[in-house]
Amino acid sequence: MPTIIIDPVTRIEGHSKITIRLDDEGQVQDARFHVTQVRGFEKLCEGRPFTEMPALMARICGICPTSHLLASSKACDDIMAVRIPETAEKLRRIMNLAQITQSHALSFFYLSSPDFLLGMDADPEERNIMGMVRKYPQMARDGIKLRQFGQRVLEMLGGKRVHPGWIVPGGVSHPLQAAQRDAILAEIPEAIRITRAALQWFKGQIENFRAEVRSFANFPSMFLAMANDTNEFSAYNGWLRFIDANLNIVADHITGTDYLNYIGESCNDDSYLKSTYYKPFGLKDGVYRVGPLARLNMCQNAGTPQADEELAEFRELERHSVLSSFYYHYARLIEILFSVERMQTLLHDPEILGQNVRAHATPNQYEGVGILEAPRGTLIHHYRIDQNGLIESANMIIATGHNNLAINHGVLQVARQFIKGKKLEQGMLNRVEAVVRAFDPCLSCSTHAAGMMPLDIQLLDADGSMVDRLLR
Amino acid sequence: MVRVLIVGYGNPLRGDDALGLLAAEQLRMLLPDVEILTCQQLAPEMAATLAECDAAIFLDAAATGSPGTVAVTRLVPQSSSAASLTHHVTPQTLLELAQTLYGHAPRALLVTGVGASFVPQQAENSTGPSQEAEAALTPAARAALEKICRLVPELLRDFPALW
Repeated sequence: MPTIIIDPVTRIEGHSKITIRLDDEGQVQDARFHVTQVRGFEKLCEGRPFTEMPALMARICGICPTSHLLASSKACDDIMAVRIPETAEKLRRIMNLAQITQSHALSFFYLSSPDFLLGMDADPEERNIMGMVRKYPQMARDGIKLRQFGQRVLEMLGGKRVHPGWIVPGGVSHPLQAAQRDAILAEIPEAIRITRAALQWFKGQIENFRAEVRSFANFPSMFLAMANDTNEFSAYNGWLRFIDANLNIVADHITGTDYLNYIGESCNDDSYLKSTYYKPFGLKDGVYRVGPLARLNMCQNAGTPQADEELAEFRELERHSVLSSFYYHYARLIEILFSVERMQTLLHDPEILGQNVRAHATPNQYEGVGILEAPRGTLIHHYRIDQNGLIESANMIIATGHNNLAINHGVLQVARQFIKGKKLEQGMLNRVEAVVRAFDPCLSCSTHAAGMMPLDIQLLDADGSMVDRLLR
Repeated sequence: MVRVLIVGYGNPLRGDDALGLLAAEQLRMLLPDVEILTCQQLAPEMAATLAECDAAIFLDAAATGSPGTVAVTRLVPQSSSAASLTHHVTPQTLLELAQTLYGHAPRALLVTGVGASFVPQQAENSTGPSQEAEAALTPAARAALEKICRLVPELLRDFPALW
């Protein structure tokens, strides 16, 4: 059977490949997304003191260490059964919003913008970040500045940009200084300007990507995200909710104590990434999506004025929920706007400079679960400790796992739409990669550089002989 | 007045890989008026800072060559089409970004010291991460570090004649 292999998938965080199988007529029969790197964090933390977990878990990833720090610290708060001081919670929220800002800016400007700016069919020699920098320098400067803003907030609060150690079980390690607050506040107007300009630009481009909107994992599915009483956008505190494609609630008020009744994990023979599914419906029918698209479909309001305006416009895309995964990019920009606005509100709160930022306790229960909305979606850390406070077992569910079934669905949908016959063209294969990029998967990026490796795609005939080959 | 930026980078948990970073930290004391950055990896955001400088020196460790030796390379703005700006950014790409986006790239040198061992080392009697990284350097890397610290002030004195 002829097979096309895209290995590695470029401009994403981590290592993966895609296999596309054709039938004898050259029609796409099946397509799969494989994650080819193994992560061993659930196993290697066994036996470690639970208080070490936030720092240890942050090493899962170099892009989202802050998200793991936060989810892990929340799980440790749960083990200690403490309610952290209000100031600490607000500071942690700012940290999470800064993380969302810098991560989404990276995804939109550094990884995906070459596709939008230079076109899916452009020569790969040009359709890359440097091509974009040369042709659209203002956009590139904006992208760098916005990411820099997010990184600077993380650095100012956490002490360093990557792997900050400031978030600890029980709160944060030290209070915010007035000078730091003022420095962050001073940069917010420019961050808002950049985000609004990018939104304006992206909305004007959507018309040029009708085929991608139609085929980029555009299908009815459930969505999972954090929810709360106000039905406002929620990324730090709340419970989990599943909704269907018509925005009906499927399951609600899911917490750390019962998430295992709703979320199942299935191992795959051809990928190190597990597929999670909505347990009551089973693996076949339990597909759901997480992340920016899910969160915007879930909430009624964002809760900040400018993001609410944008959200109202976003909702006009569809009658019910927005289903095309191409709109993840759009949703990401709205989330940046929300994050920057919300940071501003939190920093103006007089309590933000409060000195009481940490609760101290020893373990009060043997289990703890921390749930957070990370940039890419719902992140769950679940630890069980022994009587000495040492980790007995750990379970982590990351956003990309939740999205794995949907990503696979999307890869097949795009392959069927764009790959015809036995002659490969760069544009069709780039679209197969671009649908994966829309989800902004993070396959643990702590070890290697995906962008540096060549892309070798081979089209093999039924007898294994090579029909066509593309090298990048 | 010549505006100078020194960037020392490397992984303090990977033995001799830290020698560029540690040299930059020592130079901070020797050259109090010079802006010095230390980091594990170069990041695209540094392009904006570079664009404001006349001279830049990148300090890095090298894995090939004779351990303990030091090499100076003149850098020009340059980037490959595969540059992704996420994990691995070269000094040349940063210069290219500075030139393209901000209209100016400084004259720049890359100073590399060849290390002997790039595996994590456990240091004895260390008092903190930085001391630990320094104590973990092999004698060859330490020799390279000392040469770099002597060489960099000389290079700056010769600016721009020999750059």
